[in-house]
Amino acid sequence: MVEITIENLTKKYGDLTALDNVSLKISSSQVFGLLGPNGAGKSTLLKTLVGILKPTSGTVSVKGFDIVKDPEMAKKIIGYLPENPSLYTGLTTQEFLEFVGKIRGVKDDRLGREISEALKSFSLEEKRSSLVGSLSKGMKQKVAIIATSLHNPEVLVLDEPLTALDPKTRVSVKEWIASQTKKGVTTILSTHELDVAEDYADMIAIIDKGKIVAMGGIESLRKIANVETDARLEDVFLRLTAEVG
Amino acid sequence: MSMLASFRTIGVLVRYWVKGRFTRATMMALLVGEAFSIVFILFAGGTYLSFTSRVGLGAGLSEVAWSVFLAFYLVGVIQSGFNGSGLAASGGDVDYVFTSPVPPRDVFAAKVLLNSLTTLLFTFPPIFALYLRFSVFYKTTWPMAALAGLVTLVFFLMGLVLSADITLSLGSEIGRRRKFWRNLFILLILGLSLLPIALLIPGAPAEIGDVTHVLPNGLAAMVSVGLVSGTSGTLVYSIDTVLLLAWLAGFALLGVRMSRGHFYELIEVRKPGREKQLEGRTEVSRLNPQGKSVWSVVRLKETILISRTRERRALFINAMFLSAFLIIYALSGSFQSSPTSFLFILFIIGSFGSGNATRWIEKERLWILKSSAVSLRRYVKEVYRARVVPLLLYLTPVTVAVGVPLILSQLGQGPSLLAVVLALPAALQVAAITMGGGMYFASRYGQSTADDILSSQTQELVDIKRFLYQTTLGLFLVSPLMLLVLASQQLAVSLGPGSTLVLGAGLLAGSLTYTLLILNILLNMAGDSVQKREDL
Repeated sequence: MVEITIENLTKKYGDLTALDNVSLKISSSQVFGLLGPNGAGKSTLLKTLVGILKPTSGTVSVKGFDIVKDPEMAKKIIGYLPENPSLYTGLTTQEFLEFVGKIRGVKDDRLGREISEALKSFSLEEKRSSLVGSLSKGMKQKVAIIATSLHNPEVLVLDEPLTALDPKTRVSVKEWIASQTKKGVTTILSTHELDVAEDYADMIAIIDKGKIVAMGGIESLRKIANVETDARLEDVFLRLTAEVG
Repeated sequence: MSMLASFRTIGVLVRYWVKGRFTRATMMALLVGEAFSIVFILFAGGTYLSFTSRVGLGAGLSEVAWSVFLAFYLVGVIQSGFNGSGLAASGGDVDYVFTSPVPPRDVFAAKVLLNSLTTLLFTFPPIFALYLRFSVFYKTTWPMAALAGLVTLVFFLMGLVLSADITLSLGSEIGRRRKFWRNLFILLILGLSLLPIALLIPGAPAEIGDVTHVLPNGLAAMVSVGLVSGTSGTLVYSIDTVLLLAWLAGFALLGVRMSRGHFYELIEVRKPGREKQLEGRTEVSRLNPQGKSVWSVVRLKETILISRTRERRALFINAMFLSAFLIIYALSGSFQSSPTSFLFILFIIGSFGSGNATRWIEKERLWILKSSAVSLRRYVKEVYRARVVPLLLYLTPVTVAVGVPLILSQLGQGPSLLAVVLALPAALQVAAITMGGGMYFASRYGQSTADDILSSQTQELVDIKRFLYQTTLGLFLVSPLMLLVLASQQLAVSLGPGSTLVLGAGLLAGSLTYTLLILNILLNMAGDSVQKREDL
């Protein structure tokens, strides 16, 4: 079943075309890897998908809800983690999560329990009363991840969730992605970590200069790139982005 | 040779810092800021002259009162020195200058030199305008005003060096005993500088004013006031100026000596992603959303944020300063003689709201809001509610403090009393509207946290644009309230004394309706602006 449909999506910033006529279909319960060099348009695509940016043209729908025409319904089923999540540094971890849970419509009887379980699973219980501004980068990332999934979204949009994290936090985040997949959550994962994409993604799209240059499973990408059958994703990526460049 | 090399290094550092600092946008901001500060300082200068005459400190400009004003500057620089801000450094300095083999003494000298140049550039025009205002009062010539301005600048530069010295002295190297003497010395300077305030107590001996004569603020006041008021005493002024320069040289030498060691760890540089004031802090969670509506949680979150980030405390302190200024202004009698100055004061109280509002967007996290299903129009309104309550709570006593002498002076004069009584709630309404306008402009132009589209230079230009639009629109939007206050007196006269109460109630109802309508429009526009923003 198709969960997300993107049709002829174009996004322009003045003269700069960040996304150029992008079309995608992402199936339910799938992990969809989005790869591309810096400035390729990955973050713009994800921000447009979650309703932060308005498309210049084209449509995005999530479970049949158009993100521009019916944003409230679409946003209720999406959880978004930006590349550099900025948090309310003056709130405690507990207050921050309560606030986000509340504005994302989590019921009172569930909210406290969800927060406690999430803090426990990320080993952040001791930081419940710490101000968010006092946490380390890794801890902030964990808090942002909890905030992203508090309302049990059916679709997760993760923009480079592993960037600049220490090895221990990376493991926690990877485990969390795997657990979401097991729960049947559809995940769109933008990353520079090709091994992560290779390990987790059922389907991969490579984007460069605002265009999707290739899409498919790892096998079909190898074919498109015309490389050896045992070639690493890195070689596939370099070949495909070099051809466009 | 080594001295020459030091001068070269200092030159290179200053040139590099100046290049980074004076962009086209900064120059524009400088011009706009200077124009506004000159207007303000002329107004403040007039008030000061009126005040000193009123409280009997002397007819016109008083050396003692002026030295007290300058002492407040000393309080500020000493405080910033102890905060570690006496030597400001950027992340670029930390990464490239502090890791270079340039001797710390040269870095110190270059920093102080740059700050001095900036102060000279920024401060001289308003100071000159102020002394020119005084020289018009005393009918002296403009070169006297320029000379007085230069002497005051020497005092300001001395303050900067003192602040840098204090920051340098925060290190552990100077030892506990020396720190004791440092604190005693600074306490003595502050205590003596501010002692003349005691002259406001009836019957206090006039000799108290003499104690500041050897202190930098007293010397600067004596020379500048003497020059601008045309009092003869060239020799005395020369000696006083030399003494003032000696203070400056003394602090500069002390700074150069202290900066021979490594001082970089003393300089506050904000760590990316962390706020120093929040480090290591834990708090009892106060949000407790159980059973509360989403909007009361939004309001509570905003209330918690403004109190934890000391914004509320700053608001309170500013309100106290504003209150003191306005009471002095009311006592000076300017209200009673000039309706335009009264309207101006209304706007000053009101403008207080816009400064408070502009900070909300910096503390907001737009990605969380925009990826949620909440209505942004409603969200902005709830944030506004949370912010306007403390503002009005602090401004109400200020308005009452201004209002009491005014009402007392108008008792028995129905029409003008009506104008005064209407003006007091109007002041709060002006504050509420300018705050709404501030939120709109902040949501449209203010820098959000993860701004990855606007470069800093573009942002500076945007800030200037915002400031200009905001002030103009603010004046336009509150002008009906001001007109209402002005017109009420005439209306009361033409309708007769029997209808004053009904007229007052009608005008108040009209002004409240107008305020609510304007606020609704402004906040809806603010919500729509956030919705349209893509720089996050």
